[in-house]
Amino acid sequence: MSLLHTPPNRPTGKSVQLMTTCLCDAFYSDVAKATVEILDFLGCEIELPDGQTCCGQPAFNAGDWANSRKVIRHAEKTFSGDKPIIVPSGSCAAMIFHGALLAFEKEEDLPAIKAFGERTWELVDYIVYGLGITQWPGKFDAKMTFHRSCHLRGSRSPEAVNALLTSIEGVDLQPIDEVEQCCGFGGTFSVSFPNISEKMGELKIENLTACKPDVVAAGDMGCMMHFGGMMDKQGMPYKRMHIAQVLRDSLKNAGKL
Amino acid sequence: MKSKQKIDLVARDLTNEVHEANFIGAKMKSERRYAALGRDYADPDKLRETAGLVKQHTLEHLDKYLEQAEASFERNGAKVHFAFDEDTAKKTVLNIMNEHGCKSMVKSKSMLTEELELLHYLEDQGKEVIETDLGEFILQIDNDHPSHIVTPIVHKNRRGIAKSFEREGLGDYNDDPETITRRARAHLRQKYLDADIGLTGANFVSAESGRIVLVTNEGNARFCMAANKVHIAIVGIEKIVPTDQDLGLFLNLIGRSGTGQQLTVYNQFIGGPKLKDQPNGPEHMHVIFVDNRRTEVLASDCREILRCIRCGACLNVCPIYRQSGGHAYRSVYPGPVGAVLSPLLAGNRFPELADLPKASSLCGACNEVCPVNIPIPDLLLRLRDKAKREGAKEAMKGTPNLAMWATMCSQPTMWKAALTMGHTMNHIPTQLIPHPSAMSWQGTRKLPKFEGGEFRKWFKNRK
Amino acid sequence: MSSDREKIFSAIRAALDPLPKRTAKPEWKRELIVCNPSGEFSSLKEQLADKLVFASSRYCDSFDQLAETLKAENSTFGYCDPELAPLFEKLDGITFETEYDVAKVNEYTFGITKASAAIAESGTIVLKDGDTSSRMGALTPWIHIAAIKESDIVATIPEAIDRFGDDPSIVFCTGPSKTADVEGILIEGVHGPGIQIGFILS
Ligand code: SF4
Repeated sequence: MSLLHTPPNRPTGKSVQLMTTCLCDAFYSDVAKATVEILDFLGCEIELPDGQTCCGQPAFNAGDWANSRKVIRHAEKTFSGDKPIIVPSGSCAAMIFHGALLAFEKEEDLPAIKAFGERTWELVDYIVYGLGITQWPGKFDAKMTFHRSCHLRGSRSPEAVNALLTSIEGVDLQPIDEVEQCCGFGGTFSVSFPNISEKMGELKIENLTACKPDVVAAGDMGCMMHFGGMMDKQGMPYKRMHIAQVLRDSLKNAGKL
Repeated sequence: MKSKQKIDLVARDLTNEVHEANFIGAKMKSERRYAALGRDYADPDKLRETAGLVKQHTLEHLDKYLEQAEASFERNGAKVHFAFDEDTAKKTVLNIMNEHGCKSMVKSKSMLTEELELLHYLEDQGKEVIETDLGEFILQIDNDHPSHIVTPIVHKNRRGIAKSFEREGLGDYNDDPETITRRARAHLRQKYLDADIGLTGANFVSAESGRIVLVTNEGNARFCMAANKVHIAIVGIEKIVPTDQDLGLFLNLIGRSGTGQQLTVYNQFIGGPKLKDQPNGPEHMHVIFVDNRRTEVLASDCREILRCIRCGACLNVCPIYRQSGGHAYRSVYPGPVGAVLSPLLAGNRFPELADLPKASSLCGACNEVCPVNIPIPDLLLRLRDKAKREGAKEAMKGTPNLAMWATMCSQPTMWKAALTMGHTMNHIPTQLIPHPSAMSWQGTRKLPKFEGGEFRKWFKNRK
Repeated sequence: MSSDREKIFSAIRAALDPLPKRTAKPEWKRELIVCNPSGEFSSLKEQLADKLVFASSRYCDSFDQLAETLKAENSTFGYCDPELAPLFEKLDGITFETEYDVAKVNEYTFGITKASAAIAESGTIVLKDGDTSSRMGALTPWIHIAAIKESDIVATIPEAIDRFGDDPSIVFCTGPSKTADVEGILIEGVHGPGIQIGFILS
């Protein structure tokens, strides 16, 4: 139950630019690889702009908009052109099509930033609503829960994820309690509000693992770094996967990759 | 855990009992909200969007609608007053009481009177004031403050309340909620009859017809207006909506959003003194329109917050409020709405409350439930920017400095160097890892392994 | 006082003047806020009965049944609107006064007053000052009986609002007076009636 923030009429072609995200660039290379592998599978031609760094969100959320704009401006220049920009993170995507507009609302280069946002897609949103694919020809025998990360609000990504996951042969997607509740990451929030952040994380983990799933999936490595880091510290056994990894592995299981 | 942010510290130190009360209360109301809206409307978002636009439209034409409301009330035989600031607002109430020779007031719940601390002011002036909403009455006898805008004593339990009743001579200790309620009923009934003036707030004002709308479950506002001869409605200027028909939109949303009720039990539409033939009720109605910095909010880039209809849904769904409770916000309005509104209404005391907008993971649940679709996360972000620009220290506590990070992120060579250095970084202090949240984390989380540069190498070499 | 008025209006104008454009009032149709019906009903009366109960009010359309209810609640003395008195006099074993005496505020256990309308979609009883013989009589007794003419049942809230006229005090009552202030536990009958009855006069 959320009104859409995603820009209308985003480009849908198969020649795309990939925004890896700083987290995947630094920590989660397999998520980036999985994203490339599924885009390859879908017949996309992928360009990886070399100068890319981060979407600017950490500073934006911290209230340091001047520094955030510096990073966003750099990103906008790095991703020049008119191809769709695909991001394996709802959070970074929303930063570009929504947050950046706020950061630039009083700036002269707002139109360029707006145009940047109007090309940006979260990965699964792009697959389902950009390319029109609603059936995923994979196979994955697993009971699964999905953390609907908060920055998927205001987009159709949650429906998209649901459609794809439930179409995969063998996936038993379990609903979780209080799906709308945040995991407690929130970027610098988790640093400056450690106690609340941790309690939120505990609740999220409880809800995500209540059904004893084989896999806990999410669409944002930020959330996963936070609650996954907590799970690791507590020695919890659940396998965690980014949605791109689920999609890729399911193709492998089905012998399609 | 070590922390510098006040709200985080309150959450850390809350007793289990209070935490449970806050948490369960909030969760329960959220669940009822989802159930009620989902049951009754195919697309509740359409209502939220429309209601938000109606309010935004009204605010952006407030001069016109306020003038219209004034004229309508006067046509209805009510007297209209204006109060620009807190002092005038309080004095206006006092003057009206004196003018009618009133000594004792029964009042129904109003967040605006909390803002003004009207009760203490009138008591200092020698007037008796009785809060009649059950929760507010309990707060009054305990000299406590509301921790929620709809359910003000959600932080209290029955045992504490029973003790307070015993102390106040309202019977022997008995913590059965029904007994507590019956005792309050009997006690307050006499207070209504003894009082000579009733004061209410207003949830809405119809400019078209000159009516205030009061939304209550207990019926205390009805009583204030049955037993007394003078009625004062004290109203923030942002409460106006254009027409009576617009009210239907808001009344259908406010109960469902706040408590999951299809309609709140009593919706009263008051436009002037009682009819001549009516034996009970006020012969005089005074409406006081109060600004108290609302026009400052209107001039700011957070004016959308003035759409708020005080339903409490954003508090109930907010994961931070659920952990910290309402008192952590150190102001009249807690939760997401308070994190925006309180610092703004604080005027030049903004820096003291500049940490409130930081108390959010920006998850957006508040926006998703808000019946008037206020983009609360966007407003929180604007206030964070304001706090940073104005150097408000409360806000910055615990937030890492991101200047170096920003430089690195806008210079690809530096970025890539940091990425390839990464593998050694698995062994060196985490402050250098190019992501702020990776810092000071180790207490409860295991950090991911650094793999910088691997993906790029793989991408280049693939096929 | 007038200076505060001027201050407020000029502050509003100063705040709004810089806006590049202002939000237009959205056009919205009444159907938008009409809620899904909770079932199939052959008449508004039937829907109202269902919704009254859903809202924790009670529905009644027979004098005998009403007398039984009152007796079961030990409620045999109350207040009644003088114009309704001839109708309700036939309640067996029940007595009432037709002039509300504040001194008896705790003696009246029921109050019978006229409803101006009832809203079927929400189970709401509408009281208007012009039709209410005594605000106290409708509010203070434990049981309130609102006498509703069947022809005054409207389908939706917007239709009820259409009938506001220039009455100075209209009350929508949807259920009995209640609170959940103490630990979220629902208690009925705080300041107003603990039992709300919609009595349909056919
Ligand atoms: S901001 Fe919205 S959700 Fe929060 S109290 Fe106000 S109207 Fe309700």
